[in-house]
Amino acid sequence: MYPALERVSFTVTRGEFLAIVGPTGCGKSTILNLAAGLLRPTSGRVLSFGAPLLRINRHAAYLFQQDVLLPWKTALENVMLGPLLHRWPRRRAADEARRWLVRVGLGGFESRYPHQLSGGMRKRVALAQSLIVGPSILLMDEPFSALDVHTRELMENDLLALWQEERKTIVFVTHDLEEAIALSDRVLVLAAGPGSGVIGAHPVALPRPRDVTEVRLHHDFREIYRTIWGQLRGEVLRAYAAQGRSPAAEEEA
Amino acid sequence: MISRRFRLLPYQLGLLVGLVLTWQVTTRKGGWVDPFFFSRPSEIAARVTQWFATGSIYRHLWTTALETVLAFLVGAGLGVAFGFVLARNRALAGVFDPYLKIANAMPRVVLAPIFTLWFGLGVLSKVAFGVTLVFFIVFFNTYQGIREVDANLLNNTRMLGATERDLTRHVLLPSALVWILSSLHTSVGLALVGAVVGEYLGSGRGLGYVISQAEGTFDTTGVFAGMTVLAVFTVVVDLMVTWVERRLLAWKPGTVTAERA
Repeated sequence: MYPALERVSFTVTRGEFLAIVGPTGCGKSTILNLAAGLLRPTSGRVLSFGAPLLRINRHAAYLFQQDVLLPWKTALENVMLGPLLHRWPRRRAADEARRWLVRVGLGGFESRYPHQLSGGMRKRVALAQSLIVGPSILLMDEPFSALDVHTRELMENDLLALWQEERKTIVFVTHDLEEAIALSDRVLVLAAGPGSGVIGAHPVALPRPRDVTEVRLHHDFREIYRTIWGQLRGEVLRAYAAQGRSPAAEEEA
Repeated sequence: MISRRFRLLPYQLGLLVGLVLTWQVTTRKGGWVDPFFFSRPSEIAARVTQWFATGSIYRHLWTTALETVLAFLVGAGLGVAFGFVLARNRALAGVFDPYLKIANAMPRVVLAPIFTLWFGLGVLSKVAFGVTLVFFIVFFNTYQGIREVDANLLNNTRMLGATERDLTRHVLLPSALVWILSSLHTSVGLALVGAVVGEYLGSGRGLGYVISQAEGTFDTTGVFAGMTVLAVFTVVVDLMVTWVERRLLAWKPGTVTAERA
């Protein structure tokens, strides 16, 4: 058995928006699962607010790549789930959930079931569901990868606005370098797995508040992109080689 | 969908009327078929009317309904409990696996005489017999339902602050309920089969008893009349199951749109 990760060591400062990029199979999701406390490291330590993490990280919310809303609960009931699990009174949970649905732009959709919502709307419900209990850390695993380009840009801007307001610590995993730069303060590059580790940390000194569409046109954006891609490209190629395929062969197929 | 159903209704009724008329005509005096073996629709209708007019059938209907409901509730309850425990405990599931497979493969009718010995001729032996039929359907569906729960749903709910007990209530049981409900028609149907077959094999009341008594005296009219009442009873039970299913699965894609359309 190969370890998914080796030599991974980094710190996220409070209120920082950190993006992690890396080739497929480099253990990006494993890092998030460790930070969430869903996995325990076979060696090494995970600290949350200075304390070793031994169970589920109670400071953190997790936005998954997949649809994780409970299909048998309405949008409102899904958002109320966290508060009810935290033993809030029902009334307060419902009021607060309604407020959050309005906040993510879904006022009036309270009684819809997940299958009656579009992919983007379900992500918004999931976002409200994670944020309602007031986590200080938000872990995001390619949350917008399944959305179409336009919905995705809207969601990214909304996420930036929310972050700007509340200054949560965000760890955002993606394979899309442009998305990583447009959103974050710092981009970590992971090596190709197995036995992956952090091979680069690049600060993103673009002005805030940002608009994800406009920030891509900023002259520094190209420069940052070129630097990180120079490093990432080699890893992507290595990942392909490890799988016994070349990108060229992939394109021909 | 609804309009389509009604468009076929004339043809469906036509088929029934055609069959009953053929039966009625061919069994008249000097006809091709001997009414001693096949009875006649008019006589069957008269018998059923008489049963309901005198009220003699009600206690039999009541007994069969009671046995069906009890067999279903007990069988489903045990099935859910066992399915849940075994799905959460792989080692235990491994130990029980061969025996459950053997028990499920065995024709359950052979148990009926044993149950009559153990529980007597009354309601209890029929319930026990029905339970052996219902249990396995519900058990396998619960087991499967809980094993197939999406790991991401569980992790997400954990992250939202759920304890193991919360997970059971908010994720595992609702998820298994989908599977249990999908087998509801089968399991309720089997509860009814259990009740009627049990009565048929030895009892003092119930629809199965009515049919078996008529058969014992070569009263074909009585047999067919009993079958008619049983058929209508089955349809009513099935409609009730459909209604319950619609209500409990209102969140599912297909059912909701069908209801609103």
